[in-house]
Amino acid sequence: MSVMASFGNSPANLSGMIDPAIFEYLKAHGEEEILVGDKLHNITTALNRHISTCQGLLSHIHSTASSNFPSLLKNVEETGIQPEIEGVGELAQFSSQFPYYKYNHRWSRSIQNVVATILLTAWLGGMGSEARPGELGRLLTIEEVGEILKVPVNVKDRDTFHITIEEYLLALTDITDELSRLAMNSVTMGDVSLTLHISKFIKDLFAGFQLLNLKNDIVRKRVDAVKYHVKKVEDVIYDLALRNLLPATNA
Amino acid sequence: MLVIVPKRKHSDMGAGVKRDYQGKEKAKKNVGADQPRNAYTSMFEAFRDELDEHHDRRNRIGKVSRDVTALSKKIVRKLSRPIPRHIQSEIDGRLKEIAELLETIQPDVQGMNRHRYPLFCLEEFVEAVSFAHYLHHQALMTPTAAQEALPADIELTAPDYVFGIFDLTGEMMRFATSVTALTGSMPTGETPQKSSGGEAQSEDHRDEESVLKRSILADMQDVSSMLQICPTVGGKSGTYAKKLGIMIEQVCKVERLGYGLAVRGTERPKGWMPDLNEGYTGGGDGDDFGTGD
Repeated sequence: MSVMASFGNSPANLSGMIDPAIFEYLKAHGEEEILVGDKLHNITTALNRHISTCQGLLSHIHSTASSNFPSLLKNVEETGIQPEIEGVGELAQFSSQFPYYKYNHRWSRSIQNVVATILLTAWLGGMGSEARPGELGRLLTIEEVGEILKVPVNVKDRDTFHITIEEYLLALTDITDELSRLAMNSVTMGDVSLTLHISKFIKDLFAGFQLLNLKNDIVRKRVDAVKYHVKKVEDVIYDLALRNLLPATNA
Repeated sequence: MLVIVPKRKHSDMGAGVKRDYQGKEKAKKNVGADQPRNAYTSMFEAFRDELDEHHDRRNRIGKVSRDVTALSKKIVRKLSRPIPRHIQSEIDGRLKEIAELLETIQPDVQGMNRHRYPLFCLEEFVEAVSFAHYLHHQALMTPTAAQEALPADIELTAPDYVFGIFDLTGEMMRFATSVTALTGSMPTGETPQKSSGGEAQSEDHRDEESVLKRSILADMQDVSSMLQICPTVGGKSGTYAKKLGIMIEQVCKVERLGYGLAVRGTERPKGWMPDLNEGYTGGGDGDDFGTGD
């Protein structure tokens, strides 16, 4: 009975159905994905540790008087941001060997965090350079962030590591969150003018976000949260206004 | 078989249409115009343009992908052995439509952007062409051949190929089941009663009658072993594992079919439908063996 006889012969027939080239192809691609995945895992784990350190150092802004910001930020730059820059450099060098969008989801969140720490440090008056000294309220552009990290930004003409617009925008939503917290704490520490400064900045950013045509994606979700940051700061301003605690010019 | 080829409209296509509660289109309010500009307005305007471009591109690709998927599925449903001429010309027509559709997004998925947007239609396409290839040659289509069959200058990635092959085994199961039900034996490399349809596979075996004919079951077992051995491709390992599980299930169903046939197949009249689901008794009219996918 031929039907029955044909059941037992599959190993001998392997080459009949399957060209060995297919095996080779699948093995090569699968193994590459595993190797790249492992290496990226190592790199991003190290980078995430640097990010945590940096975020931890930065969190001291909530308990530091703004007059002491310069020395705090200097420390953040040296022990927080510098290792981040090196970590991003390693990531950029390794990942540029492979299609950017094939793997970028693996580090996108880390990059957002790195960008956010840099933006926040700079806004508070750090990240000064000889050409452009640091000052309070300075928002770095995506290009300036790219220069600090020594990586390209918003690349469209070639396949290489870069910072995307989405990552920058998401980092902005991170710092509005952080600054809305600072707006409250700076009142506690008696620096109402910083609160007012933050209020204007967040409102300006919020107006900017309104210009975007967002789709149902992560950017929309996070941008939607910015209005709560605005509200949080407005509530603080309201409390101050109610009690006549605002400086005369702003009352 | 009217397929609407998406035409490129500009900007507002990607942005979508807001409607009021009656479903009428709302006039697009220009948010920027009536608001005072601040230090960051122009930066956000630049971002807006970039993001719009990106969303429009994704939209175009998504539409084409859906249409190509539908066409590929239609092709698959028509494939059989042998393929009558009018069906073949219908298939050719659909392939031509696929080529035209893919051409419209070709620039959108070049280089870096190839991995940026999902292009699931390629899996469906691989399923269709590899099934046709199997019916002609009784062999698994190679990635190179699949890439060549793709009527557009778009890179076929390893996940596209593998996930297409996962779908292929579903089609092979359907095919095995229907042929078995109709003829009373498992399809093998050489169809007993000849015909112009299956050229290549008969040539391979004609010289050596003694060589055992490979059945479709053995072929499915080969493919599933290979995909179990090979390392996972395609990023999210969950998808791969799930598809692998489904495939093994399909192979088991055909194994059960072969078993039923070997044990009591001869007692049954042609047209009898072997029972694929344990516990369920009863035949079929040979037309609803559709546990396809």
